[in-house]
Parts: sequence; structure tokens; C-alpha cells
Amino acid sequence: MFLAVGFVLAGAGILVWLLLPGELPEPLPLLVVFAAVGVYFDWTAVEINDHLVISTSLLVQLTAAVVFADSQPVVAVVIIAALSPFQPIDFKLRRWFEPAFNFGQLVISAAAAISLFAYLAPHAAVDAQNLPRFVLAATAASALQGALNFTFVQFIFRTVFGARQVRPWSNMLSIMLPYLGTGLLAALLGGAYHMIEDLGPLTLPLIFVVFFVSQMTFVSYARLREAQDSTLRGFVKALEAKDLYTRGHTERVAYFSELIGTRMGFNGTRLEKLRWAALIHDVGKLAVPRDLIRKRARLSGNEYEQMQTHVHLVEDLLAEVDFLQPMVDIAAHHHAHFDGKGYHGGHEHEGTPSLEARILAVADSFDAMTSTRSYRVALSQDYAFSELRQHAGTQFDPEVVEALIEIIESRGERYGSPDVDSEEEARRRAEGVRLDG
Amino acid sequence: MAERKVHHLSLALFLGCLGFGSWMAATSRLELPPILFGAAVVAITHLVTVPAPSGEHLYLGIGAATAVAFLVDDPAALLGTLSLGMALTYLILIARRTRSMSVRSQYLGEVTALMAFASTVVVLRQPSGYSSDQHGLVLAIVATAGIVWFAVRAMARSLVGLEREDLSARFLWLLALEDWAVIVSLFTAGALFGLAWEHMRWWAIPLALLPYAFSHLAFVRYNNTRVTYGQTIRALAQIPEVAGLATPGHSERTASVAVSIARDIGMHPDEVSELEYAALMHDIGRITLNEPAILRAGYTDEDLARWGAQIISEAPFLEKVGELVREQHRPYRSIGEERDETVPLASKIIKVASAYDQALHDQMLSPVDALELLHLGSTYDYDPDITASLRRVVGARGDLEMLS
Repeated sequence: MFLAVGFVLAGAGILVWLLLPGELPEPLPLLVVFAAVGVYFDWTAVEINDHLVISTSLLVQLTAAVVFADSQPVVAVVIIAALSPFQPIDFKLRRWFEPAFNFGQLVISAAAAISLFAYLAPHAAVDAQNLPRFVLAATAASALQGALNFTFVQFIFRTVFGARQVRPWSNMLSIMLPYLGTGLLAALLGGAYHMIEDLGPLTLPLIFVVFFVSQMTFVSYARLREAQDSTLRGFVKALEAKDLYTRGHTERVAYFSELIGTRMGFNGTRLEKLRWAALIHDVGKLAVPRDLIRKRARLSGNEYEQMQTHVHLVEDLLAEVDFLQPMVDIAAHHHAHFDGKGYHGGHEHEGTPSLEARILAVADSFDAMTSTRSYRVALSQDYAFSELRQHAGTQFDPEVVEALIEIIESRGERYGSPDVDSEEEARRRAEGVRLDG
Repeated sequence: MAERKVHHLSLALFLGCLGFGSWMAATSRLELPPILFGAAVVAITHLVTVPAPSGEHLYLGIGAATAVAFLVDDPAALLGTLSLGMALTYLILIARRTRSMSVRSQYLGEVTALMAFASTVVVLRQPSGYSSDQHGLVLAIVATAGIVWFAVRAMARSLVGLEREDLSARFLWLLALEDWAVIVSLFTAGALFGLAWEHMRWWAIPLALLPYAFSHLAFVRYNNTRVTYGQTIRALAQIPEVAGLATPGHSERTASVAVSIARDIGMHPDEVSELEYAALMHDIGRITLNEPAILRAGYTDEDLARWGAQIISEAPFLEKVGELVREQHRPYRSIGEERDETVPLASKIIKVASAYDQALHDQMLSPVDALELLHLGSTYDYDPDITASLRRVVGARGDLEMLS
């Protein structure tokens, strides 16, 4: 709260201080065009789960810096940056913290980065001779902006959400690379604007068209991915809804896996892969006749085999989807033990399962213990933790177990019944209330 | 078009390009090395493709051709560079032993369209004379030529493609229009390079290539996801089949027939992909049948359609598809009355395609008898227009000749 106010005040202060002298960048209509394009790109921006994608609005800002290089670049870019965080969706949802924080954050980092830019390329004419200098200046400004953004977001995550995101600094290069590319490109685009004589402003539509098209394609790409995600998620939900006891199981296992993965420093694609694996880890059961799944007594050998056949058939089916194949492997191995001695489908596993499969195993067991089954009520969280710890080193990976316990405790979440501390107690209580679907 | 005809035509075009290109190069004011260099770039970019939203792969060549149109003032040099480039492309195709029909018939389309492009540039530039600093004018001329290129290419493709099984001309046109984004970014990259070269020299290369690389990446990703999304739906749709609750292969075959009918009718490509998903999943409701209580209580076709729609509609993006599945059991009209306009066209197609496949594979009828059966149901169940389209589709697939 105070933090947001602080950010807004700092941002507003910089804005006022820059605008007070009353010297606006020339030509003004061009600035309006840049601001409109920047705002448009920010409104339509999508989050894509890796670092390959440069932020198009940052590109617009840096290009503006080069275009206005001989006339108040800092003021120009700060105006563009100040407009972008206010999005209609925030007003609709009455969110104010995020836009306020973003406003302050973007104004501060834009002001700092473009000041660096102006320092490195002071009032020079953009021509063939000076172009390398502009490339250097824009790249440096882009890197600074990237670093500032990253730091601010980390800071706010730590202080507001209390989450400690483990991001090794070795990732810095892969985070920085797109920023360097953005800087180079911005210098070239701004250079083209200045250097292609008699075309001047006409270069701008050419420049923006490419980004408009890419942005549009990335938006439809992101929508399609979301569609794919929600399709699978929806199907799993709809199908498992038929069974009262496993309802929500998949969603929760996906959630726990994601928590553990984040805690262990997974990011981007790897985290996504883990979530997908969790989402499909039980799809095989959908093809198994209900009465077999619900059976309370032990399954006969024949029945067990029948169940396994169905599970494997569905696994094979999903493995045909190219990109699901690694996820199916993870899901298929999550019954394997950490020490390599578990059994799954009658086959003994050789060696240790992958880290992803180990995470899925812990998440799956934790949810199984802390949710109600047909023959027992949910066990308490403390019991589940001690049970996981007891089997750490044999069935479970100790590191994964500790990661789960740490993250759940640090978030203060509680699962399971408050006071059921043994299997016997859980079974005894279930005698009283039976939930039959 | 017959294979032999395509073969001969592409050979003739190659010889034409080679002859015309050499003549033009010889008469041009430009030296030979830059012309050959340009031709090599045009040829090389014709070997690289980008996956477009329609599912088709587009050659990057038009981007290079656009750059050439900006850089070369002399009409003979422009025509010479592009012709020699296309001749070189043919030689590379031969050297790589590309015998496939589709590549050769694509070559026909590419050469025709590129020649139309070059001629438009030359004709439009003629009256205004040549002055290299009128960039705005050149930009407008090349943009017009680009539109001509697009139209000629789409036309050439629909001519070559028309005789291919079941694609209607309308469908092919709509499909070509889906790719405007890719074409625009190729043109823009070429134009940026062509305009910037004079002033920025080597910096023009990253200037043109970086933004294009960005959109190329976007197109590739979009395409990959489109493919895997289709695969995911296919896999999910088969769960009832592997669970032993539906006839194996039925959904896949129904979808294939339904898509052919939709293309024959000339539905919009977006609607066709919705229809394909709906047809693949039209029996997904059967997964509910592994609940013994439901089997005991009994169920109707309407129940199955409703359950299926419920499952599909859990995914917000498939709401429309769920709707199509929900309506699939409905008759197209009440007896003696006009068509019921509230039944979606796609649902009626699924009903016909599914019944046709059941007649073939459950009742073991021949295609002719299966069609006969569908015609019998035309008072109430099966829309006669769709059955007529099915007859064309089945005819085009050669199922009918096989038996007669």
C-alpha cells in the first residue's frame, strides 16, 4: 500500500520535473503516434512463458528515443512509458495496485535508461557515421531498463507476496539477450527513420507493420496455447467430476507440482512441462470402468491387469501427440521410487526417475493423503509431512519433500483434516459418514 | 491437373525463364555479376518456407523479390534477375531430386505470380520515369504489384488445386486470405531492406532480418501449437474408443468425411476447423457410459449429445464446438415443414457423416447402399443438400467406381 503510493509519487515526481520546463519534444504529432502505438502494444500484450520474446512496447520506447534523439528523448519516452500501464481491464476489475506500481516502476526505469542513452549519444545527428554509437547507446539503455524492471519486479514480489523466487544469476544472460536485441533493433529502426531521406515518417508504418503482425501472431499463438491448456484441463475436470473422491485431484496435484517446481528453481518451459505432466498423470484412469476404480476391496490380478491395460492404452494415445510425449513419460514414471526399486505396471524400473517424475510423485502422494477417499477421511497435513519425510530417501526424493514442506509452510496454506493423525483414525471416522457418489 | 502436364509445363516455364532472363540480362544497363547475385538470392529464398496460418508453407522468395524491385531501377535488369532466379530455383529443385507433384505445381504458381509482380512494377514505373529518390512512389508501386502477385498466385493455385479431390474454389480463396499476415511481413522486410540499403548499407541486413525473424518465430510457434492442439483433441476424442465404449476409428473417419463435405460446400476455413473438432469429439459423451448406473438406467442419442457437449464446454475455447455437438442429434426439419434454421449447418454435416460411417462399418453396407440409406432418411433426419454433397465427395474419393 505505502509502497504503491511511494512508487506513484516517485513516478509522478519525475514526470512533473521533466515536463515543468515546458520543452516538449518535436514534432509533437509524431510523439502522439508513438504513444498510441506504445499503448496499443501494451494493451494487447500477452505473457509468453519464456524469455525469447522481446517486449514490443519497450521496442517502441527505444525507437522513440532514437527518433527524438535530437529533441528531448527523455521527455518523449517518459511520456510514452507513463501512458502504458493504465489498461481498461484494470479499471473494469477495479485493480489499482498493479497499475500504480507499474506506472512508478516504468517511469523510473524509462527515465534512467533514456538518460543513459542521452548521455552516451548526446545530441548527435543520426547518420551513417554515428549509427554504431546509437546502436551502443540504445543497447546499453535497453539492458539497463531490463535490469531495472527485473529488480523492481523481484523486489515487489518479495515484499508484497512474500515469495522468494529462486532465479540463479546464470540465467541473466538468457534474460538479457532479448534486451540487447531490442536495443540493436531500436537503433536501426530509428536510424532508418532519420537516414532514409524524403521518406521520413513513411518509414514508420513499415516499421510498425512488422511488429503489429508479430504481436498479432503471438497473441493468437498465446490464445491457442491457452485453448490447448484449458481444453485438456476442462476435459480432465469434466471427466473426473463423475467420481466424487477424485474430484479436483488433478488440479491440486498440478498446483503442488508447480509450487515445488518454482521452489526448486524451475522456470518457463520446464515449469509448464511439469504442469502438463501433472494434468495428464491420471488421464489413463478415465478409460477404466468406474466400478473398478471405486472398488473398496483389493483388486484381483485379472482386474488389476484390466485396469493397467486401459491406463497404458490412454498413455500410448497421448504419447502420439508430439509435444505431450515427454510429459507422458514423466507421468508414467511417477510411481517409480527414488531409489529405483519401485514397481509400476509389473515392470521393475531401472535407475532413478527424472526430477520431474519425483516431484509429481510427492505432489500426488501429498494430495492423496490430504484428501478424502472412499474408505477414509482426509489425513492431517502434519501426518502427511511426517509420512513423506519417513519415506524420503527410499520412495521419495528428500530434496523434493523438503521443498514441498517449505513452500507450503511459508505460504501458510493448510490441507487435510485438522486432527486426523493416523490411518486407523481416518478409517474409523469414515465409518460414520460415507460419501457415496 | 495431370502429373505429366504439370511436368511438361514446369519444364517449359524453366526454359522460358532461362531464355527470357538471359535476354533481359544481356540488354540491361546493369552488369552481369549483380544480376546473378540477385538471382541467387531469389533462388535461395525460394528454398526456405514459413508455415502460414492456413497450414500452407510459403516461400520467402517474394521478400527477396520485393527488395530487388526497390534496388534495381532498370526494367530489363529487374525482369532478368527474377527470371534467372526462378530458372535457378528449378535447377535446384531438380538437383535435390524433388519429384513431388505438389512442389512442381507450386513452382508453376510461383513463377506465374512472380512474373506478374515484375510486370506490374515495370508497367507502373514506365510513365513516371526512373528516379531513385522517389521512395514514396516506389513504395506505392511495389505495394500494388504485391497485391497483383497475391491475386495471381491464389488464382494459379486454385486452378491447379481445383482438380484435386474436394477443394472448392471459394474455400481455396478464403484459405489464401488467411495468410495475409505472413505475406505482409515478407513484403515489409523486403521493402525495409530495399529502402535502407542505399543509406545504411550493411546495417540494412539486421534492420530487415531482425523484425522478420521475430514474426517468423511467431508463425512457427503458432503453427506448432496449431498442430499439437489438433493432435491433443484427436487423442482426447479417442478415449471412449480405447475404453471400448465406441467403435474404433469412427470419430476419425467421421471427421474426415465431414471436413470433405464442408470444403465441398465452401464453408469458411475457421468453421471447417470447428467442424473438424466437433466431428472428432461427437461421441465423447460415450465416456459417461463407463458408469454402470447409467447403462442400467438407459440413455438416448440426445443424452449422449448433451453429455458430450457438457464435457467439451468445460473448455471455454471450445464453447462453439460443444454447441455443434449438442445439436448433432436434431433433425433438419419437421416432416412436411421448411428447414429448421436453428440447426447449425455443421451439426447437420456431422449427423450425415456419422451415419454414413456407421452404415459402412457397423452395418457393413457398400458405399452405394449407404448413400441409398441416407437418401431414405431425407424427409426428416438428413438434409438432402448435404447428402448430395456427400455423394460428390464419395464420388471424388473413388469409392463408388471401386465397386461398380
